[in-house]
Amino acid sequence: MFIAGIDVGGTFTDVTAVDATTGRVVVTKVPSQPRAEGAAVLAGLTALGIASADVRRLVHGTTVATNAVLERRGARVALVTTAGFRDLIEIGRTKRNIPALFVPTFVRPKPVVERKHRFEVVERLAADGSVLVPLDATSVERALDGVLDAGAEAVAVCLLHAYLNPAHERVVADATKGRRPDLPVSCSADVVPEYREFERFSTTVLNAYVQPLMDRYLSDLEAQLLAAGYEHGVLTVGGSGGMMTTDTARRLPIRTILSGPAGGVSQACFVGAAVGVRSFITYDMGGTSTDVCLVHELAPATTADTMIGAFPVKAAQLDIHTVGAGGGSIAWLDVDASLQVGPRSAGASPGPAAYGLGGREPTVTDANVVLGRIGSARRLGGRIEIDLAAARAAVADLAGRMGGELSVEALAEGIVTIAVARMTSAIREISIQRGHDPRDFTLIAFGGAGPMHALALADEIGVPRVLVPRHPGNFSALGLLASDIKHDDVRTRVGPLREQLGVLDALFEEMTIAAQRQLELEGFAPDRQRLVRSLDLRYRGQAFELNVPIGAVVGVDTIEADFHRQHRTTYGHANPDGAVELVNARLVAYGIVDKPAGEPHRRRAASDSALGSRRPVWFGGAPYDCPVWDREQLADGATVDGPAIVEEFGATTVVPPGWSGTIDEHGNLHFARRPRS
Amino acid sequence: MIDPITLEVIREAFVSTVREMRVTLVRTAYSSVLYEGEDFSCVLMDGRAQLVAMSKGHDHPLHIVPIAWSMRAVREKFGEDIHPGDVFLHNDPYTGGTHLNDVAMIYPLFAPGPEGADELFVFPVVRAHWGDVGGMSAGSLSGNATEIFQEGVRIPPIRVVERGRPNVAVLDLIFANMRGQREREGDFNAMLGTCRKAAERVEALAARYGVATVRAAVAELMDRAEARMRAAIGALRPGEYVYEAHLESGRERLTPLSVRARVTVGGDAIAVDLTGSSPQTAGPTNVGPAMAPTGVFTIVKAFLDPGADVNSGAFRPLSVITPRGTIVNAEAPAPCGGMVEVKYCVESAVMGALAQALDGRVAGDLKGGGNHCYVGGPHPRTGETFIFYEYPAGGTGGFDADDGSNAVRTWTESDMTTVQPIEAVEQLYPVRIERLALREDSGGPGRRRGGLGLAREVRILSEGARLSVLAEKAVLPPFGVCGGGAGAANRFRVRRGGVTLEPSPLPGKVGSFPLEVGDVVVIETSGGGGFGDPLTREVERVVADVAEGYVSIAGAASDYGVVIAQDGVDTGATRRARDAARARRVRVPLTAAERLERGAGRAIRLDAETATRLGVTAGGIVEIVNPRGAPLRAWVVDVGGDAAAAVSPMALRMLSVAGRDVEVEIRAVHSGVLG
Repeated sequence: MFIAGIDVGGTFTDVTAVDATTGRVVVTKVPSQPRAEGAAVLAGLTALGIASADVRRLVHGTTVATNAVLERRGARVALVTTAGFRDLIEIGRTKRNIPALFVPTFVRPKPVVERKHRFEVVERLAADGSVLVPLDATSVERALDGVLDAGAEAVAVCLLHAYLNPAHERVVADATKGRRPDLPVSCSADVVPEYREFERFSTTVLNAYVQPLMDRYLSDLEAQLLAAGYEHGVLTVGGSGGMMTTDTARRLPIRTILSGPAGGVSQACFVGAAVGVRSFITYDMGGTSTDVCLVHELAPATTADTMIGAFPVKAAQLDIHTVGAGGGSIAWLDVDASLQVGPRSAGASPGPAAYGLGGREPTVTDANVVLGRIGSARRLGGRIEIDLAAARAAVADLAGRMGGELSVEALAEGIVTIAVARMTSAIREISIQRGHDPRDFTLIAFGGAGPMHALALADEIGVPRVLVPRHPGNFSALGLLASDIKHDDVRTRVGPLREQLGVLDALFEEMTIAAQRQLELEGFAPDRQRLVRSLDLRYRGQAFELNVPIGAVVGVDTIEADFHRQHRTTYGHANPDGAVELVNARLVAYGIVDKPAGEPHRRRAASDSALGSRRPVWFGGAPYDCPVWDREQLADGATVDGPAIVEEFGATTVVPPGWSGTIDEHGNLHFARRPRS
Repeated sequence: MIDPITLEVIREAFVSTVREMRVTLVRTAYSSVLYEGEDFSCVLMDGRAQLVAMSKGHDHPLHIVPIAWSMRAVREKFGEDIHPGDVFLHNDPYTGGTHLNDVAMIYPLFAPGPEGADELFVFPVVRAHWGDVGGMSAGSLSGNATEIFQEGVRIPPIRVVERGRPNVAVLDLIFANMRGQREREGDFNAMLGTCRKAAERVEALAARYGVATVRAAVAELMDRAEARMRAAIGALRPGEYVYEAHLESGRERLTPLSVRARVTVGGDAIAVDLTGSSPQTAGPTNVGPAMAPTGVFTIVKAFLDPGADVNSGAFRPLSVITPRGTIVNAEAPAPCGGMVEVKYCVESAVMGALAQALDGRVAGDLKGGGNHCYVGGPHPRTGETFIFYEYPAGGTGGFDADDGSNAVRTWTESDMTTVQPIEAVEQLYPVRIERLALREDSGGPGRRRGGLGLAREVRILSEGARLSVLAEKAVLPPFGVCGGGAGAANRFRVRRGGVTLEPSPLPGKVGSFPLEVGDVVVIETSGGGGFGDPLTREVERVVADVAEGYVSIAGAASDYGVVIAQDGVDTGATRRARDAARARRVRVPLTAAERLERGAGRAIRLDAETATRLGVTAGGIVEIVNPRGAPLRAWVVDVGGDAAAAVSPMALRMLSVAGRDVEVEIRAVHSGVLG
């Protein structure tokens, strides 16, 4: 029996499966099919020779929701909102949310719900949740007439202060269901029961916008898998790193948004825990972008507020910073003749020049081919043949346009250097933002292009240790295999912490009962459940809050002390005399899944079979005759001294002069700078 | 010659260092206006007072650009008496500050120069808004200030740390004169820590690449920015272009303050002379010497080369003359709290002039200032004073390719929140927000429509609250360009019972208007100016606007001549309506007449028939449409001349109208009567 993890990326769909009895991991890549993700899932399993009936659990990451928003291909949404506020979703906080300083011709992105599809109902709640104006039934019917006339495919119900009192939203939702039982309805109090109406409404409208697509996608996928003999539920990864059942993914598809990089961070946490690396920075470089995330003591940085395109999304998320630089990033000359790399990418099509698919512009990948860092002997991802001459021609053309002073190799090295400089900035900034020095962290590098640049990046940042885990090219898909089911819940109660203590117990009780019921429905017995509580707190007068984890039974003094300490860590100072305010109570509920046993790394004596070949590779303006190691053949305890290249399916590790690596008992490569002799 | 790769890596390091400064200040500041409002800016500069790098997008141009003046003020005062370990503070508007709340910290670094001796190197500067710097009211900014002394502590360039030793006496004196001493000191220390971190980065960069290489990179980045800007200027039609824009003042009649811009495009340089702008006033709309050049730079950059880095190289082709004693370069003791409003006015004037060189490739005008609205009073729950402060955005102007955007921060300013969450407001303050909506028909009509303003209605629930407003374009709306119409003006009114009240004789300048329980403060922000003749707007676009409710059916007919009936557009009626609207336009020959100059505002003389057709009398304000640029606003001085419309030769120049008896379209703007 297998557990299968499938990670749909922009270029490739990575498929990973682990044999639940032996722990053996098999991986492959199939081309992504942007509008038919389900077909790629099945194609992946077929490519691995795994019958669907032999799969016990199938976990996947999908970009359906993310792409629907970014490409504006979601459903026709109608909005029902409080009288007087139909434009709130459009006015928002009046921010541009796109780069537009000094750009008189900027156009602010319009919300996904058109103005003519927004309808008002007469009702009003007060700031304490009490009813100021009762919900007027006639206005509801009139609004629903409009919704149905508009031909809406999904409805968002967003009323002011509904996070405190969802009654009016529920009545509107029920009335909608009464008239059109098949119409999906998202209520703001269900999607994000938190205060700050614009962010809540935006999230709810986006949830409705992607709901019909996600529903169709999951239904198709389930039907295809069922037809192929797979009889278990499909799990979907969420942006906070946990898994969701299809029921949850259908109800709250917005929680899958930006979940692409989450699997890699989860897997890095598993690997880190196994090898005792507890604080690290994940460096996941793919074809179009690079994702970095700071993990301190095995806890990834998280955030409750993200953006997709120009729209805010309020949902618990891993705090992953994305840089528009990947292997496919194009090198180009600006009008002032300065050399730029990215953010435009050659993507999957036409791809880098070296792919021979029609790309002419030089990319980071082409630069690596020119430098010998990517070999032309091995097919990329098992299928793409590398065309060295095309890569050289593309880089040479750019060198010519720059006046011909730089050699092709020098320019290629320059392109890589500039790409690395962008990523250096990103990693420094996410570290400083959290109050850390990146030099105290290990870099964990994965993704198709991560191991290729990781050691150069480490040199720039001053990071002394780099870990290139096993299967770096399929790392994110691997992360899906062992992730637990996760439900995030939240209640907002704004007020002095000490005054709110009374309601806190009731709030947690309410959330706990709901979470336990949900997990039970999903088949998790009480001993497979884990609940984690936290509070969002701030000093009186602040507008934003810090998340402070708490135990089940904790005194207010301890909570306050923890908050002061965390404020000091985050902001460099605290005010022990300041009044502490409660904003949100949060509960994270995990359903613990069986973890596949780790595959033992093959232990055998180092053999020459690991040395595939030798080839010249450029470092610092000079070619080195480098050994090219076959990673799959490297034995436990083997060392790799730079300059060297380590090749494997889906990734190439570049080891510059001065670095040495060792294979550990799990098959991970640990690099450290060699002491200068 | 520095190689292109090292240059790019150093450029990345500079910008990244500035972003790290931002992150560090947010992490360590004590006051929420800094760590949540992010009302601060960071920059690297060099010993010649040149801006080396800012982080485009987060740092405010109005903080950053004036830093060069602050640095020059330091050099002027201290000359060579600047040493490693020195730190300087500055906020004085008359020598390059913005308003007193924005305090700049200058942290010089040294490195060996070409001669071997230490010279100023690349170093960090932070300008941050301090929540209070003393003065007559909490928060320091007051629309009622008549002298700068009422606006807080003036800090000329002073040395607060000398060779690493803090000058405790001067710091004590500063902090003792500000409200919230603990917060002020916390913010000061956060700024110091931010500069220290940046210094480490700069020093590491110098160690890695060598001081000479870093200096060479600075020089090269400046030269490239300069070359880009010069190339963009070189593509303009050379000439001298004149235009003027207005700030609102007066009690019974609108008597404007003027900013006059004479823009000379010559070869690859632009010179802007603001001579002729109004004398400084005893109200808040004055600025020191740095703000007007900041506005000039903003416009030139936006229309010529928005994509380039912001560094002083891009400024080199620009020169700006700001005569002393005017609102664009005021002297003590003129208050400077309304600096944003003056900057907007400079920008409108320069855009109007530059439009003539750009053949109208400009955009409709903007909201004209900060739209600062304060509701304050005793909080019924605590008895403490509450201040509910917002500065709502308006619409942006239409432009050649597209309509303006609705209710959003403009392209001249940083990207900040301007309205607070309703669900937070109603918990914090004794008010209820009863409506937040786009203002239908507020976008300036045009072939490309201006963006819509917003309407926000705030019901007052407590006794003793008062309303204060500081805004512009509350009488004279943001103009349209190339024949486009004006957007709706900003409007700040109070609804009491069934009656709507104007809370001040001069709209937009409200000082402590007493509110009653149950009053509704109605804030309506301006729409952006339109672009192009609205009668040429595609009918489908007008229909779509009506379907979305951006334009009413009545507005479609009156502004666009599009007739929409029950079953859709009435094509025949639309054609007739557009013809009729064209025929109704007041198009008259415009003649030149001497002795029509006046102190402020253009003058126009109309004959009786023209005045009647426009519905204006003496004192009224009209605009003369410029089909290839910005319209000229003019004050009717006299009705009963021989010519249909006569203006001074200078006004003709402002319209780029050559020859005699050119026919122009004239529109009525305002009666000129206040109160």
